[in-house]
Amino acid sequence: MVELTPQLLGLQLVTGVALGAIYALLAVGLSLIFGMLTVVNFAHGAFFMVGAFLGIYFQTLTGSFALSLVITPLVVGSVGMLAERFLVRPLYGRGIDYPLLLTFGLSYVLIELMRVLFGIEGLPSSTPAMLRGSVDLGIGRFPLYRLVLIGATAAVVLGLWLMIEKTRFGLIIRAGSRDPEIVRVLGVDVARVWLLVFGLGTAIAGLSGVLAAPTRAVNPEMGITVLAESFVVTVVGGMGSLMGAVVAGLLVGVVFSMTSLLAPEFAELSIFVLMALVLLVRPQGLFGKAGLMG
Amino acid sequence: MNAPLIQRHAMDVQADILIEARHISRQFGAFQALTDISVQFRAKHLCAIIGPNGAGKSTFFNILSGAIAPSSGSVLFQGQDITGLEPHEYARRGIAKSFQITNVFKQLSAHENVRVAVQMRHARFDFFSPRAKLAGVAQTAQALLERVGLASLGQKPAGDLAHGQQRSLEVAMALAADPQLLLMDEPTAGMSPEETTVMMDLITELAAERTVILVEHKMKLVMGICKTLIVLHHGQLLAQGSPEDIRANPEVRRVYLGQG
Amino acid sequence: MAPLLTPVLTLIARHRVLSVLLFLLIFPWLMPYEALAVNILIFGLYAVGFNLLFGYTGMLSFGHAAFLGVGSYLTGMSIVHAHLHWLIAIAIGVGASGLVGALMGHLAIRTRGIYFSMVTLALGQIVYYGFYKAERWTGGENGLRGVTVPAFEFAGLTIDFTNPVTKYYVMLGFVAIALGLVSRILASPFGAVIEAIRENEKRAAACGYDVARSKLLVFVLSAAICGLAGSLRAIHLSVVPIDSLHYLQSGQAVMMCLLGGMGTFFGPFVGAAVFLYLEDVVTTLTRHWMAVVGTIFMVFILFFPRGIWGSLIGRWERATTPSAQT
Repeated sequence: MVELTPQLLGLQLVTGVALGAIYALLAVGLSLIFGMLTVVNFAHGAFFMVGAFLGIYFQTLTGSFALSLVITPLVVGSVGMLAERFLVRPLYGRGIDYPLLLTFGLSYVLIELMRVLFGIEGLPSSTPAMLRGSVDLGIGRFPLYRLVLIGATAAVVLGLWLMIEKTRFGLIIRAGSRDPEIVRVLGVDVARVWLLVFGLGTAIAGLSGVLAAPTRAVNPEMGITVLAESFVVTVVGGMGSLMGAVVAGLLVGVVFSMTSLLAPEFAELSIFVLMALVLLVRPQGLFGKAGLMG
Repeated sequence: MNAPLIQRHAMDVQADILIEARHISRQFGAFQALTDISVQFRAKHLCAIIGPNGAGKSTFFNILSGAIAPSSGSVLFQGQDITGLEPHEYARRGIAKSFQITNVFKQLSAHENVRVAVQMRHARFDFFSPRAKLAGVAQTAQALLERVGLASLGQKPAGDLAHGQQRSLEVAMALAADPQLLLMDEPTAGMSPEETTVMMDLITELAAERTVILVEHKMKLVMGICKTLIVLHHGQLLAQGSPEDIRANPEVRRVYLGQG
Repeated sequence: MAPLLTPVLTLIARHRVLSVLLFLLIFPWLMPYEALAVNILIFGLYAVGFNLLFGYTGMLSFGHAAFLGVGSYLTGMSIVHAHLHWLIAIAIGVGASGLVGALMGHLAIRTRGIYFSMVTLALGQIVYYGFYKAERWTGGENGLRGVTVPAFEFAGLTIDFTNPVTKYYVMLGFVAIALGLVSRILASPFGAVIEAIRENEKRAAACGYDVARSKLLVFVLSAAICGLAGSLRAIHLSVVPIDSLHYLQSGQAVMMCLLGGMGTFFGPFVGAAVFLYLEDVVTTLTRHWMAVVGTIFMVFILFFPRGIWGSLIGRWERATTPSAQT
């Protein structure tokens, strides 16, 4: 039994934050897509996985992690936009379940596609050379990469927040989330907004994949559990809330991390139990609006 | 309770209070939709809630019908506090409503729409009897369709009916529960003059046997037939009384200047 | 519509349970090998249970693998660890699934519409991880092994489950009971209530129906039927794989239902048959079954949302007056 010093707990906490950062990003992407399109993207985990694969691929190709951080989300987002335009959009009038189901089918195809392109074993992933090593946090040494991950996520979330609060596009997103009809009436090209939002949401998923790749095994199945975990974060935080996605993401990451240390047998279960508790006490999620739930 | 709330007519000394709103207030975020509304509605009185657009009529209606809960205050039905109960519990107690935006089972036939509504009183959690055998239910449904003038359209999918017919269908469904209180939110909205006359005749008929409360913004319609009018303005109770009282009320005239 | 088909379908519609059972009676002889027929029977029942919730009540659950799995594991564990009689083991499997259904339903029904799918998926994963970790009882990653039922005498015959044909007809007995139950429920007043809920929840509530309680009831019924399918599966395979509980197994129920025809009586069986038969064939031709099934699923969603049987029924309905669905 490892000795539980405050330092160890503190380091585990920071690990949780790093894990939570990825969850937060994923939940933000999911929430964006749902808020604007009322579509639950069951392919979100798959796009995450594609991002991880392409991230490694582009890094190998260009020799630069930074470059791959830029290219990969663009590519993943483009795939997302193609999917929205030709697969999801025809289904909007049909009822809320159909787009969801379609993305589920899409996830199967994406998983198999990656198997074909990169093999069933997956790709070896490693921390980019520049970001290796550890940093002294005062309570102990902590991997530099994970700190960078936290920082990068914070930057992306901040950028998104600025975009949503300060730009015209963001205004449309906010208006659309409240009332899709109004947006249409105001003469905005709604179809183009859907396209861009779906692209943005999937691009963010892809970005989280690139960032997460050095911290875990990259294989075609990696998105399958991630999807379930994203749902947990979304339910805990409340759909449609950026703040909810971030807070819940970090919370879930920390819960998982701490449980891994204190009661490792229950680590995976812990986050789902957390969700069940939230459902019992506050079905709309911590930051969700009552009326969408219950 | 100093002011005489609703003018008594000599004939209606027996009539008692069926549903009552006490100090109802409702906020939506920062927006105050209703402020401290207290009204008593007498049984067997045809009453209309009127007011300009944005007065809070629909919000008040939704609170009375149980669709939303008030932020504060209570709703009493036959003396019992029903504030915040589930919509289906309102229906079970004898409060039926028709929606402002027609809300029927579009894919089901008109007959099936009403049959489902009637069935509620007879067999809710019955898992085993074939429902085709519930002849009484089907007959009652047909009778209700006849009442609202849709007898020949029973087999048509409700979504295929004309707008006015769908609204009549909704009335039939509301009647299926044999309600003591019938709440109707803008029953003639979107109707042609002919359809409107038919609907108003039906409402007058219904008001003779049960309590009907309407929300309407077409003043002319309600002036003629309603015993009592409640006027809302900016979420507050502006005036209440008989059509004559309301017509003479200077506040009401000011608010409605230029409107029918 | 072919002139012969309409009266045939009308006959089927009027006696749907009988028609389906007749078909299932001869089914093994239509399949290349009997074990496939058993598989289709079991998954057909699984899809029927799921269809009750999704096709008829309109609630898209992604957690139904939990019921298939609980049925399988509880039946399996009753036989392997407690050495109970297989009939009792099946009863336990069904009961346990119903119970899990009640718990899951209670939590999930607090949410509405689109959240429901996410929540049920996540709740199903609780069951998955729970059983995964309880290695001592469930075998963990390796699954539960040794679910064997010894041969026994019944009405002068020796019933041996190692014979797939025997197994098929014994299980058909259970499926028949389940189908009869489902048919009864759908034709009952309660059946009208759940369809009303699917059509327009608010309207159903305004009519006076307790929507939440009705939903929970269907959820539990659906869970129990899927649990029965799971119980039969445990006996069929003699093992219970841990993946029975994973949400991808839930997704399979969705796919089968959609392929066959949601909200139709026979559709789930058609869907299960097509899905499993196709899987059987395609996996011998290529490794990329997942891509194939994903693509087919998307094609159906986009162009044939009524499914195979559902589209057939649709055309029949247009050829006749709108009446009872099969």
